[in-house]
Amino acid sequence: MTDVSIGQAVRRTEDERFLTGRGTYIDDINMDGQARAAVLRSPHAHARIKAIDTTEAEALDGVLLIITGQQWVAEGMGTLPTKTAVRKGRNDMDLMEPPRHCMAVDTARYLGEPVAFVVAETQDAANQALDLIEVDYEPLEAVIDPIKALAPDAPQIWDDIPGNLSIDFELGDKEGTDKAFEDADHVVTLDLINNRVTAVPIEPRGCVGSYDAATDTYTLFNSTQNVHANRDMFAENVLGIDKNTLHHIAPDVGGGFGVKNGAYPEPPMVLYAAKKLGRPVKWINTRSDSFLSDTHGRGQTSRVQLALNSDGTFLGLRTSTVGGIGAYCWTVGPFTPTGGSARTQGGPYAFPAMHYRGRAVFINTAPMDPYRGAGRPEATFQTERIIEYAARKLGLDPVEIRRKNLMPPDSLPYKSPMGMDIDCGDFPHLFERTLEMAGPDSLKAQAEKAKQAGRLFGFAIAPYLECTGGGPKEYAGVTFNPDGTVGLAVGSHSTGMGHETALPQLLAAQLGIDFESIQFTQADTAATPLGGGHGGSRGMEVGGNAVAQAAGEIIEKAVPLAAHLLQSDAAKVTFENGTFSDATSGASVSMNEVIESAEPGALDTGSTFERGVISIPNGCHAATVEVDPDTGAVELTGYWVMDDFGTIINPLLADGQVMGGIAQGIGQALTENIVYDDSGQLITGSLMDYGLPRADVIPNMEIGYYEGAPTAKNPLGVKGAGEAGCVGSLPAVVNAVLDALKDHGVVHMEMPLTPEKVWRAIQDKGAHDPEGYMGDVN
Amino acid sequence: MEDFSYQKPKSLKDAVDAFGASDDGLFLAGGQTVIPVMKLGLAAPADVIDLSGIPDLGAITVSDTTVSIGAMATHAAVGASEDIRQAIPALADLAAGIGDPQVRARGTLGGSIANNDPAADYPAAMLALNATITTDKRDITADDFFTGMFETALEEGEIITRVDIPVVDAAAYAKFANPASRFALAGVFVAQMNDESGGEVRVAVTGAGPGVFRAEQMEAVLSNDFSAAALEGVSVAADDFNSDIHASAEYRAHLIGVLAKRAVLTMTGAANGKGGGQ
Repeated sequence: MTDVSIGQAVRRTEDERFLTGRGTYIDDINMDGQARAAVLRSPHAHARIKAIDTTEAEALDGVLLIITGQQWVAEGMGTLPTKTAVRKGRNDMDLMEPPRHCMAVDTARYLGEPVAFVVAETQDAANQALDLIEVDYEPLEAVIDPIKALAPDAPQIWDDIPGNLSIDFELGDKEGTDKAFEDADHVVTLDLINNRVTAVPIEPRGCVGSYDAATDTYTLFNSTQNVHANRDMFAENVLGIDKNTLHHIAPDVGGGFGVKNGAYPEPPMVLYAAKKLGRPVKWINTRSDSFLSDTHGRGQTSRVQLALNSDGTFLGLRTSTVGGIGAYCWTVGPFTPTGGSARTQGGPYAFPAMHYRGRAVFINTAPMDPYRGAGRPEATFQTERIIEYAARKLGLDPVEIRRKNLMPPDSLPYKSPMGMDIDCGDFPHLFERTLEMAGPDSLKAQAEKAKQAGRLFGFAIAPYLECTGGGPKEYAGVTFNPDGTVGLAVGSHSTGMGHETALPQLLAAQLGIDFESIQFTQADTAATPLGGGHGGSRGMEVGGNAVAQAAGEIIEKAVPLAAHLLQSDAAKVTFENGTFSDATSGASVSMNEVIESAEPGALDTGSTFERGVISIPNGCHAATVEVDPDTGAVELTGYWVMDDFGTIINPLLADGQVMGGIAQGIGQALTENIVYDDSGQLITGSLMDYGLPRADVIPNMEIGYYEGAPTAKNPLGVKGAGEAGCVGSLPAVVNAVLDALKDHGVVHMEMPLTPEKVWRAIQDKGAHDPEGYMGDVN
Repeated sequence: MEDFSYQKPKSLKDAVDAFGASDDGLFLAGGQTVIPVMKLGLAAPADVIDLSGIPDLGAITVSDTTVSIGAMATHAAVGASEDIRQAIPALADLAAGIGDPQVRARGTLGGSIANNDPAADYPAAMLALNATITTDKRDITADDFFTGMFETALEEGEIITRVDIPVVDAAAYAKFANPASRFALAGVFVAQMNDESGGEVRVAVTGAGPGVFRAEQMEAVLSNDFSAAALEGVSVAADDFNSDIHASAEYRAHLIGVLAKRAVLTMTGAANGKGGGQ
């Protein structure tokens, strides 16, 4: 028997499977008689579809089915709705949501939008058929920049949505903020861009669908992060079938990062074709098409303003941002630049007043949906960049100004001007501890050494405060099998994070049973009646608590059984460390013995946990860089993090989350960038041009956890760990580079900080326009 | 990918004959360009003629005067060759720095220079080291071989068999990698020929322009005074340089100056006088 406990660095059960190539990804699944699908995608960012001729393609040997957007609608297929929580804007404005069919019907509104769907005997035949479909396009003017999309003369993407505006949202205290700005000694303003990026999971999206005529049911294996919510939308919204007739399963998913959360058009088209043809259909996206059709993240242009006194005390924060969400609302597209980025404005600092305005704007690009952090990295970046900028502009010490304004622990609990319930934490402690880890003496020595080598040394510290999100309900089901194994099925979803280890670890620790006896199931609509899947760092917070709650219910059921075995009274029996005991008699019996003695099914438990209030993970990042002034090349030389995720279930897995998030943040800060040209063609359509970070640019990281403030918002006291790495790393990296360049007068640069940009900033001695973007639309 | 016929001839003659018999043949060396291009549908040859079955086409021999590398020698083999490392360490280092381990395990010298990608590393080495490219028909000097973007002096159906490189007094390659692709945004190969080979200084630049080229003004300056300081203020005209999202022509021109100095510093600072490094 393998004993495990909460807080133990249990090694990942799933690693052996993954590392020996025995994972089951979508392309590993092949069904008898399976046909292959391909998607014809629009080569234009904006074009009217005048006619589609499929005659030649249909005549091609092996082609089984071709369907166009018009035919799709004629078949009675419905649209995919947005689930954004923000639906009301300023002045009582309603969210504007255009219809989203699985294919363009009359007009293609982004490069890569599906125009026709082909199924053939082989992938080659399906691909060749794509070339034979003749589409008569009338190209229309496209708009790519969300600021330009708001201009009065901008191309209109939807006839009935004037100004390309999906929603104009605000949050906070406008009057109080205006007053703070009037009274402040200084007001510092900076326009900045949070660059558009995409996740590039190593497994592209794909699915295999089948239909069983005898039972009128569908099965869908899909590389998704959210089987229940997407099942509901595919079934009820698009296909018009009872959701219970669609069995939706995500086997091993090779990375998601939010990009696989939403409802994409291809799976319902696969299911439609499977029924129509009476045979299974497989579709696997190519890497090239992934760049065109996966959702993007970030992509905001903002004006950030800080009001402060001469002594550096913060008085107010004002942010106005415009997010380009693509041509549709997608699954939760409008949320990120509005509510998603508003909530954690101001970070862990005491801001008496804050106001946030966020506009979600339609543009002719691939859709926007959550990407690791979904608004919190943006908010932290906005907050930390304006603080750093103000410090440079006003000659204040960037470390001191932060230290001075952090919320002290005795000011908690605190309801922030953005509505966050900040219940517990010790932000100054984490800040000081991070500084200590970086080592002030060591930093000085490194700076001197870099100088001797003709390189520029930079350091930055970036406290962060974020919040969890995602579905508030989660289900955990536990079954005790006759062979001694224990089934654990949950509705939360790991796409590589290690829930297959952490959740059985929780159950085994709480019940005192063998960790290795637990058989874990996730992401299967037949295994759990509900499931919130992935998103918002909810894995331990909601999924973990569901497991803990189920364990508690199992113990309750086991007490009378234990009392019977102990020939005692249930009221006298206590449970600790896997053992039931009666203190008066001194007799005891283990959970394993109770399980063995129980009637089949007697202890089986299904439990639904519902989160009350979202948690507030927080922490502090620090980074050092060296810049080669001759070339502008940036090298990260050190990285330190203190995180307050509340209770740590498994520090090894938490480390993995922190490191992965930081790596993605480093990628965005230094090399990643989605670039379209003005006509809407994608310049960064492959890994030759889209700069994913490689292992050699990621520095060693020293990670510490503060467990002195477990949250009382949930029984486990966990706060969520999945996205924090991404939330803190953007400002840590960017501000460290700017610190390296301070002697050259450089106080602002836009991500990614490519060598040429850094070199040019040095040449230009930091010349920049602090109000360069928002201008007329602010 | 379109259907094609695949052949793996066992001799050079059979390969030439197979090409001659095909209306639309394509030689396959390591396939690091050909295969992706075919997968993307940008090339659809009727006949793919794989050169990997021809014996001895990957042989490496090093004498006191010449490094001779068979066209099918992989980057990994060149990078790992102790003989090459002794003779021209910069060449071994360059090969060991191409792409990633998978690319180096398959990619070949002949394939690389026949493709003449404007951002490839090998063309810079060949041009700076004054290599002679031998084909099934003739010998071609590197100066005559590289004729433009993806263009070479090779005729239809001509097969590179080996490359002969004179052993030089010193050489170094300095490369600045594109952060996304890791191809050279700019790469500068500097070679000091030995007296038997004329003693000249040759500087070849890759990554920046439409094809590899010699930086003649740098060569002139370095011939007179072989030091990094001598390169101060010597610029390279950026007129036909590439400008893209990764680097402007102006930045590439600037990088060439920085990299040339770094290559020269490596050569002048190296204890064994042979230079090396990236």
